[in-house]
Amino acid sequence: MQNLWLIPALPFLGFLINGILGKKLPKMVINAVAVGSVVLSFLLVLNIWSSGGDLAANPIHQHYFTWIQSGEINIGWDYAVDKLTLIMLMVVTGIGSLIHVYATGYMAHEEGYYRFFAYLNLFMFFMLNLVLGGNYLLLFVGWEGVGLCSYLLIGFYFVKKSASTAGNKAFIVNRIGDFGFSLAMFLIVVNFGTLDFTKVFAAAPGKSTETLTAIALLLLLGATGKSAQIPLYVWLPDAMEGPTPVSALIHAATMVTAGVYMCTRSAVIFTHAPIAMDTVAIVGLATAVFAATIGLTQYDIKKVFAYSTVSQLGYMFLGVGVGAFSAGVWHLVTHAFFKALLFLGAGSVIHACHHEQDMRHMGGLRKYTPVTMAVLACASLAIAGVPGTSGFFSKDAILTAAYGHAPWMFWVGVVTAGMTAFYVWRAFWMTFWGEYRGHGHPHESPWSMLAPLVVLAFLSIAGGFLFNVPKILEGMFPAAEEVPGESMLMGISIAAGLAGIAISYYMYVVNPKLPQRISDGLGGIYRLVYDKYRIDELYDATVVNPVITGSRSLLWKVMDQGVIDGAVNGVGSEAQLAGGWLKMLQSGNIRSYATWVVLGAVCLLILIGVAEGVTR
Amino acid sequence: MNLLDLVIALPALGFVLALLMPRTQENAIKMLALGVSLATFVLSLGLVNGFQSGQTGQQFVTDNIWIASPEIHWHVGIDGLSLWLVILSTFLTPIAILLSWKAIHDRAKEFSAFVLLLEFGLVGVFAAWDLFLFYVFWEVVLVPMYFLIGIWGHDRRIYAAVKFFLYTMAGSVLMLAGIIFIYLRVGTFDYVQILAAISSGHAMLTHTEETLLFLAFFLAFAIKVPLFPLHTWLPDAHVEAPTAGSVMLASVMLKMGTYGLVRFCLPMFPTAARENASWIVALAIIGIVYGGLVALVQPNMKKLVAYSSVSHLGFVVLGIFSFTQIGLDGAVYQMLNHGISTGALFLLVGFLYERRHSLAIADFGGVATVAPWLSIMFLVTTLASIGLPTLNNFVGEFMVLQGSAQANFSWTVFASLGVIISACYMLWMYQRVFFGETNEEVKHHVPDLSLREWACVIPLVVMMVWMGMYSQSFLPVVSEANAKILDQSKMNVPLRVAAPRMTEHAPPDLSRPPVTAAAAGGRADAR
Amino acid sequence: MPASFAPSAADLLRYAPETVLTVAGTLLMVLDPLFAKKSPKLFGHLSIAAFLVAIVAAFQANGAQGLAFSNLLIVDGFATYFRVLVLIIGIVTVLLSYRYLDREQAETGEYHALLLFSVSGQCLMVASNDLMMVFIGLEISSIATYILAGYLRDDKRNNEAALKYFLLGSFATAFMLYGVALIYGATGTTKLDEIRAALLTRGADAWFPMVGIAAALMFVGLAFKVSAAPFQVWAPDVYQGAPAPVSVFMATAPKAAAFAIFLRIFTTAFNQIAGGWEPLVWISALLSMTIGNFAALTQTNLKRMLAYSSIAHAGYVLVALASHSDDGTAGAMFYLAAYALMNLGAFAVVIHISGKGEKHVRIEDLAGLARRQPVTAALLTVFLLSLIGVPLTGGFFGKFYIFRAALQSNLVWLAVLGLLNSAVAAYYYLRLLVVMYMHEPGDVVENLEPLTPGLRAALILPAIGIFYLGVAPGAVLSFAKLSSSFVR
Repeated sequence: MQNLWLIPALPFLGFLINGILGKKLPKMVINAVAVGSVVLSFLLVLNIWSSGGDLAANPIHQHYFTWIQSGEINIGWDYAVDKLTLIMLMVVTGIGSLIHVYATGYMAHEEGYYRFFAYLNLFMFFMLNLVLGGNYLLLFVGWEGVGLCSYLLIGFYFVKKSASTAGNKAFIVNRIGDFGFSLAMFLIVVNFGTLDFTKVFAAAPGKSTETLTAIALLLLLGATGKSAQIPLYVWLPDAMEGPTPVSALIHAATMVTAGVYMCTRSAVIFTHAPIAMDTVAIVGLATAVFAATIGLTQYDIKKVFAYSTVSQLGYMFLGVGVGAFSAGVWHLVTHAFFKALLFLGAGSVIHACHHEQDMRHMGGLRKYTPVTMAVLACASLAIAGVPGTSGFFSKDAILTAAYGHAPWMFWVGVVTAGMTAFYVWRAFWMTFWGEYRGHGHPHESPWSMLAPLVVLAFLSIAGGFLFNVPKILEGMFPAAEEVPGESMLMGISIAAGLAGIAISYYMYVVNPKLPQRISDGLGGIYRLVYDKYRIDELYDATVVNPVITGSRSLLWKVMDQGVIDGAVNGVGSEAQLAGGWLKMLQSGNIRSYATWVVLGAVCLLILIGVAEGVTR
Repeated sequence: MNLLDLVIALPALGFVLALLMPRTQENAIKMLALGVSLATFVLSLGLVNGFQSGQTGQQFVTDNIWIASPEIHWHVGIDGLSLWLVILSTFLTPIAILLSWKAIHDRAKEFSAFVLLLEFGLVGVFAAWDLFLFYVFWEVVLVPMYFLIGIWGHDRRIYAAVKFFLYTMAGSVLMLAGIIFIYLRVGTFDYVQILAAISSGHAMLTHTEETLLFLAFFLAFAIKVPLFPLHTWLPDAHVEAPTAGSVMLASVMLKMGTYGLVRFCLPMFPTAARENASWIVALAIIGIVYGGLVALVQPNMKKLVAYSSVSHLGFVVLGIFSFTQIGLDGAVYQMLNHGISTGALFLLVGFLYERRHSLAIADFGGVATVAPWLSIMFLVTTLASIGLPTLNNFVGEFMVLQGSAQANFSWTVFASLGVIISACYMLWMYQRVFFGETNEEVKHHVPDLSLREWACVIPLVVMMVWMGMYSQSFLPVVSEANAKILDQSKMNVPLRVAAPRMTEHAPPDLSRPPVTAAAAGGRADAR
Repeated sequence: MPASFAPSAADLLRYAPETVLTVAGTLLMVLDPLFAKKSPKLFGHLSIAAFLVAIVAAFQANGAQGLAFSNLLIVDGFATYFRVLVLIIGIVTVLLSYRYLDREQAETGEYHALLLFSVSGQCLMVASNDLMMVFIGLEISSIATYILAGYLRDDKRNNEAALKYFLLGSFATAFMLYGVALIYGATGTTKLDEIRAALLTRGADAWFPMVGIAAALMFVGLAFKVSAAPFQVWAPDVYQGAPAPVSVFMATAPKAAAFAIFLRIFTTAFNQIAGGWEPLVWISALLSMTIGNFAALTQTNLKRMLAYSSIAHAGYVLVALASHSDDGTAGAMFYLAAYALMNLGAFAVVIHISGKGEKHVRIEDLAGLARRQPVTAALLTVFLLSLIGVPLTGGFFGKFYIFRAALQSNLVWLAVLGLLNSAVAAYYYLRLLVVMYMHEPGDVVENLEPLTPGLRAALILPAIGIFYLGVAPGAVLSFAKLSSSFVR
């Protein structure tokens, strides 16, 4: 029985060492510490994987200390591992290690090298907390923690205003999601008296549907924040301000999938709240289409993949929403492989083109960066769902389940699949085919970067076989019901994928003038999509600006300084006035004083007369 | 003369010594002040050490007659509630002295003296178990803070100081009336006996009397907290005060208000407290949101933090009036958290001011490039104050919100908005101050933390992590005290109101018949 | 007991303080021409000595409590308390006067003699058991004060003040005298205890409304002396115009004495018709507090501001009287002591800074005092905090006892309004602190000479007293509580 706490502890140690001493340490040591710590915890995870025994029957649960204890509410610092967690652990530590290695190459010439790795390790620590946590609050710790790290890493180039702004945006939008998450937790405690997964899930079936629906919907709100779903997806595209390894690790492979993990984790609650389930499915589907359409039109290679991530996450939610939890997780895993690869590949391309991100200034790179091209091809095949690739299995599983739930969802999903294939391959052609349109001349990346790419390429292709998630998770979730004509559905989705590739080939290799004409033809609609439907502008106009101007002019100036302080100071000045008025009595003239005395005396006489009369 | 008496007396002694020293010996005086406050802190740790958990009621009790008639006792003691607040005071005073080492040269003698007097008053407030004694300390605190703001403050310091004094004075005179009224009814200032008399119904408070008394006390405390809409003295006081003043004000003085609510308002006037809870909570929630929104648009760092305090203290009040164990525990814990994190914020803002001689956010930018460690410490503090898990505030806010959720879920929904807003204003400020291009002024005038400054910051940061990760070192004793208070605050109402109002039914130990009779009776025995 | 014209030894002992003072006063008059040039300070020293002797005498007298001179005088704890109080006031006044007289080159035996006579009059007043005695004492005290008010005969303000005080004073005294006459007409006696007895036996209603009217008229006279609203109008002008040492003397000693006899008469003689006069006191108290405090808010002249504040404080004491109980009386006694001390202290500083011809008596003239003379500033701070009513000062306990008495007698509203008033008052006292500590020194303070021994004593003694009353009020209060039982 090994100590789970070591798994997050190692990266944390790395964070401390690099964070505090990093400035003085030589690069070699920093690499060793940063990569080493993560790789070590990966080995620990592997050890569980191999020697874990039957986790389904008896999951590992370790209690370290009581964190919060008040009245009957007791929240411990517990780590728990079951098969779901184990899969997440594999993904996080495995891909984490690869990306750490890649980063040593990619960031080699950056300012604040040590800072970068400190943050990255800190992220690993929180992410591992998130998946290891044995209760909602501990999950929330990781949840917020990864948010922090993403904030720090997006704003890594903090001298750039856009970068730090993107960081803030990410954190704050996530806070809105966490608002939902925390409310969900409060509701859970109110109804269950605990936050421990085991206890809550044991008791959940007994609770009323209303309660569970409320909880589930609030959890969903949290998930939409972290996993960039409608309406809170807006932060993710901007998050590409961060260094590319960050985009790959945090904003593609691991953190953004936390929402999916959390919903899957809470499967018991969701399955007992049908309305919530449908909401999840619809949100997921809507996001998938919506983001895909934007992806069609972008030129910044990272933006393309960013929207693709949003869209793919939508797929996962669709899976969860239609009850195919294991399919959702499966897609989470495969997506981690190929999307990480896409980003890292993109990174390698950007690296090759001297930090150029606009695809219109690339092209023809296949001559210069063959390896990168090869691996990116694998990734693109996978995401397009070409049979045999990892993406194919998971996506197909989701779509089938969707059909079983509601055929129209399947069809929308298929269209999206087509679009996905199109824009990914569009990017591929624009980057590697045609002539080089950039400046300087491109060069292939060092092996420290390429090696991880190769590994990921292998996984993107073979990942589907290697990790047959539905098999692993067998029995954890209610099995998705058999769908008639599965092979036919499969055929359709494959067709959609291939069609997407074909069309993109036609438009960007065979007949490169075409896209321009189409976009001109569409005119306004094209602009709108190209501007991401101007959602950010919408939010600014409807939420951000009103709040700020309202707070400034109304609350602060009018209410605080005008009304309240005005009243307070008013009292003061009134008193002063009264004083001034009283001074009038002092004419300084004896006769008038004497009159006063007489008047006073008369009043007193009357008064005492009355008083006595009353009291007799 | 037990340990607690020492902890109270030592600062007073230091105050006198400081006054006696020649003003030319600036450093010697500062050393003296620092030494005394450190000694006090060390002594106060003895309190933690010797504090027996498990036994409710106060410990380290001294109860001597101070004034024979009316019988006023030097009755001090601490329970789980006061313990940590006393520690908080003794913990922050040395830091306050140390952080102003360079900033204060003008009249350093008075400064050191006043800080020590302040500590004396604060510790006394939290330790007093005699209502009269409590009031005395309560007022004593007022004077040094008035001078700290008024003498060593910034441009509009006089306005701020006077406003601060009058605001508080106006509240506390009514409390004095309330205290006297209770004394006349119960015949003692001793808090324990008063509680006994009230709970047993001997006080014979009518419903109206109880409500009025509650309001009298509540107003005094609400002004100190400060609860919306009584908060407008706070931003001025904070902005104008010197760093040390802001730190002590935010960290400890505001807690006098919330402490009073828990210690006195709940147990003494349970019915009134519960009946009025609804609108008080409403104000608290308004304060949370309102404070946050106003903080969002402040161009001045100190003002921003000040308004954030309004928001944070709203959580505390919310927790108190949720009347749930976890809510109350959270509220008390939040008092401490706010003390640490907001104290640290003012401290760091003060450091920035000392470097750049401006509090305007606009005058900064890119500090992170020139002063990385300062920025990191500021970041940690910021994260603490916006309630990042594993740092202190999160625990408090979570408990408070959980408590209010158990009382009324809709409260929690609105209050939680504050958590979102806090992220907005803090991060936005952080971005504008520390990120971006480094402007010339900053480049030349903002060095990184000095050794002395490290010494001020590190204890606070350590506390943030400790309190965030292992609340068990603090919460249990608090819970015990709160459990008792909660229990007292739900005593059976009928007995207390329906108690016979004829004098002959009054128990012998009562010094006087109830006031209603005294209208006539007052004359009677005046003969 | 039949009136015998040969006074017994006991009678003389009970009358000792007055004797001492009068003799000393006369002596000074005689010595005046001899020492006026050579050693002017001597007069001061002598009168201090006289006061000290008188204090001893007062305590001796207290040892032999009882009636004297066929019940015209009564020596009880109450009388002793106030005798000692006014005597102490006398001492401090002399201490204050050294500096002032020296600066104005106006040191004469006359000044101190008048002081002694005035105080002797007050001693007589507080110890009288007969309305005639009250009147005589009142006049002795007043007439001396009238002259003192115009002491610098070629100073216009002095003369104006003296004239105002004299005319209005006599005007008010007339009311008082008329009241006495009415009482005599009604009850056939002017002895307090006998009046009380008469009212008890025959019942107040027998002479309705005569006794009531009488009470009201006497109230006018006394209210004037204590400068309580609505008879306060003279105070600001007179206090401002009179020489500072005299102003503070007027604001403390005659006031204390008047209040003493006020309490004695109304709680003893007019106890029966309390229902009638309590409303008067109630209203007068509220008016005085409010008018005093609010008018003080806008003052720029130190002496005038302190004058208004003294009106407000009269209001507080009236609250105690209105509560009409032993505790009330005790509270009033305690408060008057505290009040006297803090006023003396405050005025000492005024005299210190005012300079020749009292040119610098604006509040601004205190600017930056804390920088140049921190100790003086600190002491003034003590007095101001006491005037505000901050704990650990006598002023606080005074207020506390008074408002406790008020609540005890169920005067809840009066108490609350009074307390709120004291919050208002805080504002104008704070202004002085602001000027002293938070403004940069002005020329007045820059060219300020150090404290003279006399003034230092006049500052430190009251400060000590304030702290004594603030930290250990027990002794004084229990004495007051005891004595209060005498006036019933």
